[in-house]
Amino acid sequence: MTCVLQFPGCRRLGPALPAASLHRVTSAATKAGWLLAIPAVLFLLLCFVAPVAQTLWLGFGARTDAGVMTYGFTFENYRRAFATDLYWRILLRTAKMATWAACVAAIVGFPLAWVVARGRPWLSRLVTLTLVTPLLVNVVVRSYGWSAILSRNGLISWTLGGLGIEDPPSILYTEAAVLIASVHVFLPFMVLPLAGAIARIPPSAEQAATIAGAGPVQRFWRIILPLSLPGLAVGLPLVFSLTAAAYVTPQILGGNFSPLLGTLIQQQVLTLHDWPFGAALSTLLVAMVLAVNLVFIGIVGRRLRRWTAVA
Amino acid sequence: MSERIPWPLAAVVALLLLIIVAPLVVPVAMSISDTPYIVFPPEGFTLEWYGVILTDPEAQASLRVSLELAFLATLLALALGIPCAMALVRCRFPGRGAVLALVLGPLVVPLIVTGVGLLQFFSMLGMRGAFLQLLIGHTVVCIPYVVRSVSGALATADPTQEDAARVLGAGPLRIFTRVIWPQIRPGVVAGGIFAFIISFDDFAISMWLADARSFPLPLFLYAAIQKFFDPSIAALSALMVFFALGLVLLIEKGLGIGVRRIAG
Repeated sequence: MTCVLQFPGCRRLGPALPAASLHRVTSAATKAGWLLAIPAVLFLLLCFVAPVAQTLWLGFGARTDAGVMTYGFTFENYRRAFATDLYWRILLRTAKMATWAACVAAIVGFPLAWVVARGRPWLSRLVTLTLVTPLLVNVVVRSYGWSAILSRNGLISWTLGGLGIEDPPSILYTEAAVLIASVHVFLPFMVLPLAGAIARIPPSAEQAATIAGAGPVQRFWRIILPLSLPGLAVGLPLVFSLTAAAYVTPQILGGNFSPLLGTLIQQQVLTLHDWPFGAALSTLLVAMVLAVNLVFIGIVGRRLRRWTAVA
Repeated sequence: MSERIPWPLAAVVALLLLIIVAPLVVPVAMSISDTPYIVFPPEGFTLEWYGVILTDPEAQASLRVSLELAFLATLLALALGIPCAMALVRCRFPGRGAVLALVLGPLVVPLIVTGVGLLQFFSMLGMRGAFLQLLIGHTVVCIPYVVRSVSGALATADPTQEDAARVLGAGPLRIFTRVIWPQIRPGVVAGGIFAFIISFDDFAISMWLADARSFPLPLFLYAAIQKFFDPSIAALSALMVFFALGLVLLIEKGLGIGVRRIAG
């Protein structure tokens, strides 16, 4: 892991930074480093790593039969998750919903990112502010707002009614409603990295393509899209992870008809007290999120280097 | 580099911005309706529902719990995060990469999993007291935001100034208060505000650890949505929207911190 460069604010400094922070390499600095870091490290080891590790382990270390928990190494929880039709469908639905949310966010986010990166300063600022403000509004409020828009006597029905379309089908409590709200909630996490990538596309590349006779469509597919892949490679796995792990939005907008993994974990642990099964489902959620992130870091990263090397 | 935006693109973006704002505006519109049920478009005008929700004892208790939690979790995260950021940016020590991964870990593991892990951990230890459990959980998720923000500020501060102070005979404490602190203060303020927001808005950790006495505001709102159908819920939502708008103004205008850093 390259460390310092990951922090915000460092990119501006360019190559001078690692040298500056590499600056003291004495044993005193080693001791000081550990002394400064040790409170946070101990706190996180005890209150983050230990609890999460324990939960992940419990999915293998115990099983519940008719309400009685027996310890011992087992794959029973995982067998149940994959073999039971209901649970398998929820796993699939979670993966599908997260994939859809990531893709829709990329499509919807592209024009927004373009304006943030290329628009006049006031416009870019306006779009950024409008995008980020909802992040500060509690997720319960945002989901509630969507349910008010999508419900049978909400904004959309009212608008359609005004247009003379009576009794339109309500999409509240469907997967579409969950998808719309998820994209809305996590859109900034797609747009901002994408805008960063678009801003870094050298104008000369587009000009060269124009001179070589490429039309707008060709310019988009051959120049702009490949060169904005670094932004997509950050945004897609981020939106996927956040959607897959969401609880509030699917619960308020999907109701009980299309639960996702978060709801299932909550039910297993808090309602049915089947901790080992809840733990196994948590492990599957972590695995799903981790797999997608690793795929993007690995494969896409390698392809990126090849594609961007050409440009 | 800025250029003219062609009008079809401008139209699409304008429409998208309207859709983005809509779910924040609709609760505000519904909250002023003087009907005893929620209706769109609102009928009549009243601010009565704001009074109803603001004097509701349960809402008040939840608000107090949320504010106390956010305040204490921010303090704890700053106390643990600032020294850790200094170690990460200023010192090379074995295991530095591992420390960095550990500190940013709570951003990687889904919050819902961290929450269920903490619940199980606390019940295994036989620990009582939901407030303390919530405080620990919130501090865990706030630390990465503080460390990132303070590291960013530290990385832009010039370490040779610290050397100069050392050569001139200043002790570590004096170097920190007179040289480092003035330079990292904006980063600390930003990190503190982000931590406060993360804690105040948290649902995914709180849903596991809360009990009836320590019931943070987001959980109260979630429960109220399913229980009550009068516009007081819309009023509470509207108040939270106004609170967020106030925060944006404070962050952008008052402190000059780019609001987009919240998402990064």
